[in-house]
Amino acid sequence: MTHSASIILYDRKSCQHLDYNILKKKTEHAWMPLIDALKSAFVLLAITLILAGCASTGVWLEADTKDYIERMQTQTDGAVQVSTSVLSAIESLVIYGIPLAIKGIQPVWIEVENNDDIAYWLMPSGLDPNYFPASEAADAFAPAAGSRKNRKLNQHFRQLAFRNPVTPGTTVSGFILTNLDEGVKMVEIDLVASGHLRTFSYLADVPGFRADYAGKQNLEHTVHEAHGLINYTNDAAFRAALEALPCCTTNKKGTRNGDPLNLVIVGGSEDAFPALVRRGWHPTEATYAGSVRKMINSVLSGARYPYSPISPLYLYDRPQDFALQKARDNIHQRNHLRLWLSPMQFHGKPVWVGQISRDIGTRLTIHSPYLTTHKIDPNVDEALVSLIEDLAYSQNLQKMGLVKGVGAAPRNKPRENLTTDPYFTNGLRGVLIFDEHPTSLADIEFLPWEGMEDGMVDAAIKSNRQ
Amino acid sequence: MKHPTEYSACPQATRGILQQAIGLALLYSLCLLLTGCSTWQAPAMLDDTPLRERAVTTMASNIRVSAAVLSKEDNLNIFATNINDKGVQSIWVEVANHSPHTLWLLQSGTDPDYFSPLEVAWSLHKPLSRGTNRKIDDYFDSLSMKNLVPPGETRAGFLYTNPHHGTRVLNIDLLGQQAIFPFTLFPPVPGEYGEEQMHELLARIEESRNNDYQDESAFRSALGQLPCCAIDPRTSIAADPLNVIIIGELADIGAALTRRGYRRDPQDNDRIQRLFGRLPDIVVRKSGQGGVPANWMRMWVAPFRYQGRPVILVQSGRPAGGRFIPDNSQKLTLHPDVDETRSLVIQDIFYSGGLAKLGFVEGVHPVTAEQLFNHPKEFSYRSDGSRAVLFVTTRPLSLSDVEILDWAPTLERQAADAIERNLKEKAGIQQAQ
Repeated sequence: MTHSASIILYDRKSCQHLDYNILKKKTEHAWMPLIDALKSAFVLLAITLILAGCASTGVWLEADTKDYIERMQTQTDGAVQVSTSVLSAIESLVIYGIPLAIKGIQPVWIEVENNDDIAYWLMPSGLDPNYFPASEAADAFAPAAGSRKNRKLNQHFRQLAFRNPVTPGTTVSGFILTNLDEGVKMVEIDLVASGHLRTFSYLADVPGFRADYAGKQNLEHTVHEAHGLINYTNDAAFRAALEALPCCTTNKKGTRNGDPLNLVIVGGSEDAFPALVRRGWHPTEATYAGSVRKMINSVLSGARYPYSPISPLYLYDRPQDFALQKARDNIHQRNHLRLWLSPMQFHGKPVWVGQISRDIGTRLTIHSPYLTTHKIDPNVDEALVSLIEDLAYSQNLQKMGLVKGVGAAPRNKPRENLTTDPYFTNGLRGVLIFDEHPTSLADIEFLPWEGMEDGMVDAAIKSNRQ
Repeated sequence: MKHPTEYSACPQATRGILQQAIGLALLYSLCLLLTGCSTWQAPAMLDDTPLRERAVTTMASNIRVSAAVLSKEDNLNIFATNINDKGVQSIWVEVANHSPHTLWLLQSGTDPDYFSPLEVAWSLHKPLSRGTNRKIDDYFDSLSMKNLVPPGETRAGFLYTNPHHGTRVLNIDLLGQQAIFPFTLFPPVPGEYGEEQMHELLARIEESRNNDYQDESAFRSALGQLPCCAIDPRTSIAADPLNVIIIGELADIGAALTRRGYRRDPQDNDRIQRLFGRLPDIVVRKSGQGGVPANWMRMWVAPFRYQGRPVILVQSGRPAGGRFIPDNSQKLTLHPDVDETRSLVIQDIFYSGGLAKLGFVEGVHPVTAEQLFNHPKEFSYRSDGSRAVLFVTTRPLSLSDVEILDWAPTLERQAADAIERNLKEKAGIQQAQ
């Protein structure tokens, strides 16, 4: 099969559009030297911008040579085939002719081949609830409304955009402009038709940034090599295994306990991750000097910095495999969670163990090399409930239950995490089971495990008021 | 919500992590000195009588829900501080459960970005006041709404949310075992005189009963007769286009919108948009993350119904420049690409779980990009001329349950455009090869 998509390279100097096929191999095109030259020029430009302080979001660019063509992923569901690739900062610079990344914009290329007999509409909000309409992104670089430059840029961005619908027997391709993810991007494609939904989920690498996911593409293989694999099909045995997990994360040496492991997610790229994406959760980058600098700037300004770093905590002798966060109004207001892939499966689905907390502010600390850390809501059960409620609206949460394992920490005798932030909990961990088939609010099932009252989970959502 | 130490008011260190950390430490020390002596005292007596007296109430499925928005005085009486100043709107809610279900109030349905009790308490913390801070935590936590609500019991408490203005559109989703009981209430925001406007709105909805279309083709014909745009009373010329129609009960529409983060927020610039000789009946806004300028939906009740359900005519728009305009930008103008905004609204209602059917009708004058560019004084927008028609329902639906109506000619035109684009792209590929 030949993957192809017509896109247009915009030469800013000549203001001309150059048609080319982005999914052909480089060697097939005589203009690749031009692209390489542009890449070099844009890298220099981007570096210059950053050095000059223009790159306010502080995007961490590197002269990446990896080709996004090689990263293209394709899935087929019935008569519909969807291919996608996420562009790095350099690649988006080359294709759009504009440094989109410095405004926090990341294009995702999508091609839908519809051999079905009904029309489909792609839902960009499923990919990113805060996606950028093409004209909004264009305005970011040509703000003078009504100007010739604004018009040209709008036209250029519209030409590159994915345009609905995808009618029977046709193939449509184009870009959706999303908020920039660093290291890895969870790509969720929802295609709706009358009385039908087809979903396609991908975990895509984004070169050019450091992130928690970096270098973990073979995570499943690595985990199973180290710990073996147990596929639970019996509810009671699975529940017992979850209760036997450690209470908490630890430091690197495993000598001190950190935040409590109060979350279990059953599902993966086909169901759990799409649910998180639809509700606006994004992967975040690991703590390193550049990201901390950005965070401090954000603290001082109170502005949103959606990729504020999350420090490493340890389980299974390794730092988190994933860290996700959902920003609210500013850096003081975000929820974040860490996940580790466990050596367990439940009815063949991957099982992730993790912790969730709600950041309610930032405070000084001597327990972090960067002197600042997030103040968490000490009621970690509230953060868990908040996540459950959030994901109840995702349409992928099928079942939920509670198990023991964290150990109760009363309000008047709170435990402390690694940065001496106090927390209290009723000692239960939430288990969220996802399914790719949509489940409405009215159909979510509560498992008859811990904390049941009249057929409902109770303990986790009752306030801890000792 | 501002952090208690007010970082944003302090001078920023500009270079280097070390400099920033030192600056932060100095600032923190200064704040300690300035604020260390202040205290907070819990009110001697908690009296929720005024809230109960003015609460609005609704009942369904043997569940009664009452709610009231707190005024500044209520805040001072109950929390000993005005948390409105922190950007938090507190709502008193009572759920009396006479159903056989145990109920879980989903705060994310009321406000996807709600504040936890200890988050609000943290914003009131003072340095070097550990004992007082603990009291604040305990107090706010003890007053918060207590889940669950068992059968035969009544629970009351406070929700801490982002503010609405005029009249609150309050969605209360009560989750049971494989059951959902959604409620929408409209409690007034004290001091903002929303009651009269709400009464007028309800009266208009009631009046629309007099013209209830039962036949689909007659209804579509009536939609085609609706005005293209609002009117700017200063010039009597067409203002912004009416590009969305929502059909459903007001409560269901409110539930769908609040689940997706829309908040009641009329502003001065809504006053130049008039339809049927009046200001918008309802205005809601949805801010992006980081407090960027909000998208808006200005809504007017149409003078007719469809199969017993109210019809709401909507002007959905977003500001030119979007989230990239400067923070201090005062003048927000309509972004001319209104079709993109229409698409945002369609998707929001889709993901709210409240959409039953989607269709398109004509009614907005089509304007091409070329026309807009060449005649900027004549046109303020560009559009394919279609209106989205959204049928909103009470029963939560999944994405795969939505029926897309085959309402020509818009759908056919879109399909024809798509086929044409596809042919062009294929031709382009062949040429390149």
